[in-house]
Amino acid sequence: MSHRRRGIGVGRGKASAKFSKKAEELKATSLQSAVETVETLKAKLATFAKTHQTEIQNDPAFRQRFLQMCGPLGVDPLVSSKSFWAKTLGVGVGDFYYELAVKVAEVCYATRSRNGGIIAVQEVFDVLQKKYKSGSGKKCNQADIPIAIAKLSKLGGGFRMVKVGKTEMIVSVPTELDQDHMQILELAQSDDGSGNGGCVTADDVVQKLRWSQDRVDRAIRLLLQEGMAWQDDYHGVSFFWFPSIWKESGAFM
Amino acid sequence: MTDFEFPEFYSFPPFFTVQPVLSTREKQMALWRELILKYYTQRKLKTLVVHECPLWKNKDIDRQLSAEGIEDVMADLVKMGHGEWLDEQKTRCRILWRKPEQLASDIYEWAIANGNIGSVCTVYELHSGEDVNGMSFQGVDEDLLRRALSILEDEGRCALFKGDTSDEDGIKFL
Repeated sequence: MSHRRRGIGVGRGKASAKFSKKAEELKATSLQSAVETVETLKAKLATFAKTHQTEIQNDPAFRQRFLQMCGPLGVDPLVSSKSFWAKTLGVGVGDFYYELAVKVAEVCYATRSRNGGIIAVQEVFDVLQKKYKSGSGKKCNQADIPIAIAKLSKLGGGFRMVKVGKTEMIVSVPTELDQDHMQILELAQSDDGSGNGGCVTADDVVQKLRWSQDRVDRAIRLLLQEGMAWQDDYHGVSFFWFPSIWKESGAFM
Repeated sequence: MTDFEFPEFYSFPPFFTVQPVLSTREKQMALWRELILKYYTQRKLKTLVVHECPLWKNKDIDRQLSAEGIEDVMADLVKMGHGEWLDEQKTRCRILWRKPEQLASDIYEWAIANGNIGSVCTVYELHSGEDVNGMSFQGVDEDLLRRALSILEDEGRCALFKGDTSDEDGIKFL
């Protein structure tokens, strides 16, 4: 155990000086132990990862727990494939998320013309489940998707997660969606029991959110322009539907 | 007769309102084209009679295209080469599942692939012969086929000559 440099006592008198020195020594010792502990833990984690390589790659729940262990230790096993972790995990986890990110991006692009570039994570997950049913690819669960998105956002192009009410959604276009837009989406999502899941009228917004007509019109106009909202004229009233939310509510399926 | 499986967007209320935003409207028109072509082809109906078309209204969601909307959809269908008006009043429209130009190139490609360049086959063989199984022009009605063939003729890719019956009319691929 090495001694750190002796602290200069701030207190008065010999007793304080002695006390401070001890305090410094203790601090140094605990810091040293802490550092050693973390290093030991990291080493143990590496061994664990190597031993359980297969489970980490193939079992989503196991993988999730493994990642949870990594977090507090400041370990990120998802960085470049040349890293120590990629080698330890056998070119597994980092590439897994990269591959998943590509698949998620594909679904987003494929559905963009329908939903304007916003889609529920659930919907992406369902599509991927159907597409990759035969288990030739590695299994993933819904929690893997936000992690893959985080990787995607580094690639630019506007990929990001947003939360509409309780629903996680992925936006894949660079459009600026501000709070006003998010609130309208949230409103559209809430089913007031009359089966209107997925749509709002301008009046709904004015009444429920207490905005000016101008503010409502502006927000809706952007959503229409982006193709995230479609207009439905019914008996003289304009309803605005959101394909990404309509799909999610499964109202007509 | 098997029930026609309506696509998902047929239950999406905005599908029945002509969209104000151009890019969205274009997508909408493409969906309507797809629906009309699929429906009429599956039912083997060659003519769309506008006021009799069952697609304009979806009772399940209580939505229907307005008269203007119907006009827009039909105008788009014709513009894209998948429909031809049979009368000036625009009440009856002939549905072209594949445009004559598409059929023409499909036929010529088939001819190349099957080593038929330089040889002759009959009109009958083209729409009902064994060799055309799975081809886009299989079973296509004669009128449409002839239009495709005359396109090829204009392009100098084939020569047509008369047989004893119209089915026996011949095509030599060049």
